[in-house]
Amino acid sequence: MSQPVLEFRQVVKRFGSVNAVDQVSFSVESGEIFTLLGPSGCGKTTTLRLVAGLEEPDGGEILINNRAVAAPQRGLFLPPEKRQLGMVFQSYAIWPHLTVFENVAFPLRVRRESTDVLRARVQKALDSVGLAGLAERGATQLSGGQQQRVALARALVYEPAILLLDEPLSNLDAKLREQMRFELRALQTRLKLTVLYVTHDQTEAMTLSDRIAVVNAGRFEQVGTPEEVYEKPASAFVGEFLGRTVSLEGILKVASTGCFFELTEGDGSIAVGADSSDSLGNGASVRLITRPEDIEIMPMAELAPNQVAARIERIDYLGDRFEYHVRVAGFSMVVSAAKKDRFTVGTQVRLSFDSKRLTLHPR
Amino acid sequence: MLAFFGVVMGLPLLFLVTGSFNLSAPGKDAVYGLANWARAFGDGATMNALWMSFALSIIRLIPAMAIAVVFAWLIARTDMPGGNAVEVFCWVAYFIPDFPLTLAWILLLDPNYGFLNTLAKDLPFVDGPLFNPYSFWGIVWVHTSASGIWFKVILLTPIFRRLGASLEEAARVAGANTTTTLRRITLPLLSPMILAVAVLSFIRGLQSFNTELLLGTPAGIFVYSTRIYDYIHREPASYGEATALGSVFIFILGVLLFLYWRFLSGNRRFTVVGGQGYSTARVKLGKWRHAAFGGCLLYLSIMTLLPLTFLVIGSFMRRYGFFGISSPFTLAHWQNLLTDPIFLVSLKNSLIIAVITSVGGILLYSTVAYLLVSRRLAAAPLLEGLCWLPHILPGILLGLGILWLFLATPLRFLFYGTVWGIALALILSDSPVTTQAFRAGFLQLGTDLEEAARVTGASWWYTYRRILLPLLAPIAGAVGLMNFGGALTSISTPVLLYSHQSRPLAILLLEYSVTGELERGAALGLLITAIICVMMLLGRRLGLQLSGLH
Repeated sequence: MSQPVLEFRQVVKRFGSVNAVDQVSFSVESGEIFTLLGPSGCGKTTTLRLVAGLEEPDGGEILINNRAVAAPQRGLFLPPEKRQLGMVFQSYAIWPHLTVFENVAFPLRVRRESTDVLRARVQKALDSVGLAGLAERGATQLSGGQQQRVALARALVYEPAILLLDEPLSNLDAKLREQMRFELRALQTRLKLTVLYVTHDQTEAMTLSDRIAVVNAGRFEQVGTPEEVYEKPASAFVGEFLGRTVSLEGILKVASTGCFFELTEGDGSIAVGADSSDSLGNGASVRLITRPEDIEIMPMAELAPNQVAARIERIDYLGDRFEYHVRVAGFSMVVSAAKKDRFTVGTQVRLSFDSKRLTLHPR
Repeated sequence: MLAFFGVVMGLPLLFLVTGSFNLSAPGKDAVYGLANWARAFGDGATMNALWMSFALSIIRLIPAMAIAVVFAWLIARTDMPGGNAVEVFCWVAYFIPDFPLTLAWILLLDPNYGFLNTLAKDLPFVDGPLFNPYSFWGIVWVHTSASGIWFKVILLTPIFRRLGASLEEAARVAGANTTTTLRRITLPLLSPMILAVAVLSFIRGLQSFNTELLLGTPAGIFVYSTRIYDYIHREPASYGEATALGSVFIFILGVLLFLYWRFLSGNRRFTVVGGQGYSTARVKLGKWRHAAFGGCLLYLSIMTLLPLTFLVIGSFMRRYGFFGISSPFTLAHWQNLLTDPIFLVSLKNSLIIAVITSVGGILLYSTVAYLLVSRRLAAAPLLEGLCWLPHILPGILLGLGILWLFLATPLRFLFYGTVWGIALALILSDSPVTTQAFRAGFLQLGTDLEEAARVTGASWWYTYRRILLPLLAPIAGAVGLMNFGGALTSISTPVLLYSHQSRPLAILLLEYSVTGELERGAALGLLITAIICVMMLLGRRLGLQLSGLH
């Protein structure tokens, strides 16, 4: 395993009495896109700014390429200009008084590169983001998408240790956002960049990331690959933040034949994998969380294993599918279904759960 | 930095207040007592002056607000042709310094030689002069033409413009016609802002000095500022009474501003008069639109063009008012003025003062604004409060406070009676506007542009030079020009601080006016007005360039 490019050790950042970043530890490996995903105000941008050196931590230690850049206990703090980072701001922060060329050349001028080297590297950076022809344009004459590319070229031009991206796509329209997402991924793969990416958009996080950290109230709720985080959310928060969830309350039964989730009232028991019930004992009050698309809806008949009875209360037609609002033993939930089956309001149906695609959480 | 600023801002005020309790002359050993206060307020004239200040400020507010609201509404919300031109004229009119304008009105309205009075003599049923500018109503009249009213138009127009079109459109859809919409929606919606502008104008009106000095003093009408001037220019000067009167006034102003601030911040109606987007739909005036434009032009002509014309004529007349004598026109006054060694010295003084003021102001207040905007400073609210202090401090009181400071401390050797002393006072008086301009500039830039430079490897100083400074240059240029112009025209601030070696042009103009050298005064007034207009239009262009940038 390679050395981590970035490492956080028990990092704390306080604003007044609020812990914006609360004892956070993680590391980013070389060549991966590591995404901080969370609602606004959760501390993800503060984490990014701590890496950049735009905020000083109150505790813990931050290392870049195994070298400490901030360690308040030792009074160590490296200012942003000494950290060799590239950053794209949410607002792009394109300097309006400079041309595209000068914007991108700025980091090299700071480093006193010779004119030839500077020219060649700016050209290369502009080529790599597809802006080759626009070097002499004024920065304010660019569209949002072009400004974003300039910001990217400026961050890449001196081959930084880590590329920091602070919600870089949030100011673009939906079509452009999708396109930039693919380009960003392609660029990262080609240049083998290490990227720390901040976003509140789960689609961006899912499609771009090698690993995602779901951040809530200054803490990392879960770190894992997109699939891990989506399929096996470590907490109800993670489940709900990444897409829609369905939750049922009940009791855990541990028997010789395996573990089962049983509804508090009403019929039906659902087999659950041993791994999701590890820390919970027999009879524990639990919440079962799964995704609407992982539940199959079927006409009423004898309940098979992993099935519960439900009644349809409302139907939404969404064009490509139906969404059924159903009631199960006192709980309302939304279940998606393909168009081939059709049920009417008031019908009794069976809901079939997938044991491999659900998690249990203590209540 | 903060400590320095606190000292610079707070000391004049402190010295002013303590000076009012000091019975001996400045510079001598202090003897404290209440005698100054007793004497100042035992004198009925003092209370009279205070009362007159308020009466004048209130009375002239009424026509001024009404006219300003009409102008702003016509420019911003109606399809009046030439609205932009009218707005530009208002800007030009705003830049005309009030002292030459007052002088011009004297040339028009003086009971003995005023042109309008001479004309009116031939009318039937008129015996004696029809107009008398040396009166309460004369002062009100001149103020109705002076920059104050255009200042209100300039403040109100964007407020009218910002009112979301959707709010008015909703009223139209609901069945209200133009006048009903104006009466029931537009004005009530804007009334809090209009009231705020009125209160601000009232408080600023209390600081007026020039017009009152020229027109009030001959008629025995004193406001508190001319009364203070009178106290200081007596032989021997009554510093004690002057500072006592000044202290009372600061107290009153402080209370007023506190109420104003409470009124603004405690009232939620001020928060949103937004709605969606700017108004593109204008009120259709129909056949009245040309009449409205004509009315605006007529008002501007009578109030601005007419007096300025007579200022020009006056400066070329052998003896002002005597059109009948052979060869009544002459260049002599201009020649005398331009070759007068006193004029040349004053011009030099004025330029030195103006340059120090504008450059010093830019350096000082860009730093202050940076400190205010960056979150690094715990004492930012205190610093901001200090920056607003000169806003409540009328020029004459600031001058008085600084005079005390110079007289009572060793600073007198450096500053007393020098151009540096005057420049210092002017820099202080520029504090609120300049700081706010830079602050707005920094806020508009945001922190991202600066941080982006830091992350790419630039040091703070490199960032300041290559990023912040070029981006703020237009603001610095604009406020620099404003302050330069302000330094050229200010009378009330330097009037207590100048000496014969450091006399600026504006004071020379004052001297010409009170010694009756009206023709030469007219020439000098025109000269100052011309310089100011050029500078201010340049400044406005810079400002527009800046706003075009974003």
